[in-house]
Amino acid sequence: MSEPTKSSGSGKSTAETSRRNFLRTSAVLASGIASLAAALSPLRELSDCTTVERFLQNHYKELTPEEMQKVLARITREVEQQYHIRPHVKDYKPMDGVEFVYCLNLTRCIGCRKCVHACVAENNQSRNPEIQYIRVLRMPHGSLDLEKGDHNYAPASVPEKGYFYMPVQCQQCRQPACVKVCPVKATWQESDGITVIDYDWCIGCRYCEAACPYFARRFNWTKPSIPAERLNPNMSYLGNRPRRQGNMEKCHFCIQRTRAGRYPACVEVCPAGARKFGNALDPESEVSYILRNKRVFIQLKEEVGTSPRFFYYFDV
Amino acid sequence: MQSDMIAADRTRWVLSGLSLSFLGLAVGFYFNLWGHLAPQSPIPLVDTNFISNATARMSLADLTRTGGDTSDFDCYTCHEKNKPIKLKFNAEGDVVVPTEHSDIVMAHGRHHRNNNCFNCHDETNLELLQTRDGHHLKIIDSPALCGSCHGPTYRDWEAGVHGRTSGYWRRELGPIERKACPSCHNPHAPAFPPRQPAPGPHLLHPLAQGGVRPERNE
Repeated sequence: MSEPTKSSGSGKSTAETSRRNFLRTSAVLASGIASLAAALSPLRELSDCTTVERFLQNHYKELTPEEMQKVLARITREVEQQYHIRPHVKDYKPMDGVEFVYCLNLTRCIGCRKCVHACVAENNQSRNPEIQYIRVLRMPHGSLDLEKGDHNYAPASVPEKGYFYMPVQCQQCRQPACVKVCPVKATWQESDGITVIDYDWCIGCRYCEAACPYFARRFNWTKPSIPAERLNPNMSYLGNRPRRQGNMEKCHFCIQRTRAGRYPACVEVCPAGARKFGNALDPESEVSYILRNKRVFIQLKEEVGTSPRFFYYFDV
Repeated sequence: MQSDMIAADRTRWVLSGLSLSFLGLAVGFYFNLWGHLAPQSPIPLVDTNFISNATARMSLADLTRTGGDTSDFDCYTCHEKNKPIKLKFNAEGDVVVPTEHSDIVMAHGRHHRNNNCFNCHDETNLELLQTRDGHHLKIIDSPALCGSCHGPTYRDWEAGVHGRTSGYWRRELGPIERKACPSCHNPHAPAFPPRQPAPGPHLLHPLAQGGVRPERNE
């Protein structure tokens, strides 16, 4: 960009020209750089940039226990900084001899959407824009055609005559399409059957969202907003710790509850008792009883071969 | 020499042009000439009723546990002991609920055979329940009575499959809480009552909500 100073001519005039040229060029350059900086000012509004610590962090599976402690301390610090609440962040590991299975009774579900909001509260999902893991489809009687499902129903009271309700969330497939397409291995299936996401490893390409046949994955298009008074301080690394803009997220069977032996939030809140959760490898569990004795009719979209761990069943 | 001068001039012009355009952009951003997109309409926080895990109603057991008002179950503050009670029936054969019990709606079953209070209540001791085979039960032990007619449902309930279970799926780590029949069903009108649904999803894009295209404002 600078002036060619080697240009020929008498020594004196060259020196004069180059001084003038130099001054002129540097003035133009300085003002140019200043205007460039000013023109880039919208970038200052970008927040939530990655930190060096997070950038250099290893993949979840490669973290040593000491490194994990450091990571959890960092997350605790970040949450405290942002929400002024000290969270309890833990990394829950899968239990031995456990395979989680979910059963949902379509005869009992009344479509009240309490599960949707209990899930949002438990798992620190963004409130605006809204991110919800569960969609309750209102379906006309006599059909299982998902095309006829409507999730925007808003009557004064439910259930309505002539409809049944079918909540859909992550089906925790045995052959998860989302895991197959992830280019950076940021999502994988754990030994207890839960498909998890390492939010710090996710690059936000949304391939998994496109691959999922159940529309179970949600993307943080903007920085998630959670009012501090609704923040759930019991957090897990792979579960409900606050996400960042550009992260993918989805139902993880409330890892922070279920790996501590408790029922997921949606089970606890269902007023109709339509939701059942447990260990399929335990013959005494509720889900084993359902799979043995009830009319378990589908794994949703059975034909796509994902083999969900989420079963819909009927009474009678 | 000549070409060098031309090249230098061109560089100067390009640089000045770039500077000017950057300056223009900066001025534009500074005075906010293009405006910002209208912010997303606020989404109200959901009512905490929708995230509470309260059951559909409170049974006597729930009221006793939470220290609620159980005076409805003190039969002998009004009734006299050992005095037989006469039920009145109307022309259709339905029991006439006395005004003292006007909060009770008799709607147990779609037929009218379950209209006799003493199908379930014990006429000799009002604080007890009676099964069809003559057993007496306390009011808080009602599931066995319900199960005497609703066998398959009772079997499912015992297995933890009918009704709400909460607490710990892993029994070694903590207790499980199983709600009894009257925590959800009113024994006099047991059909599960309709309720108001929680708000549906607010979609990200205002147009998808049937809204208007966002206005650009200053």
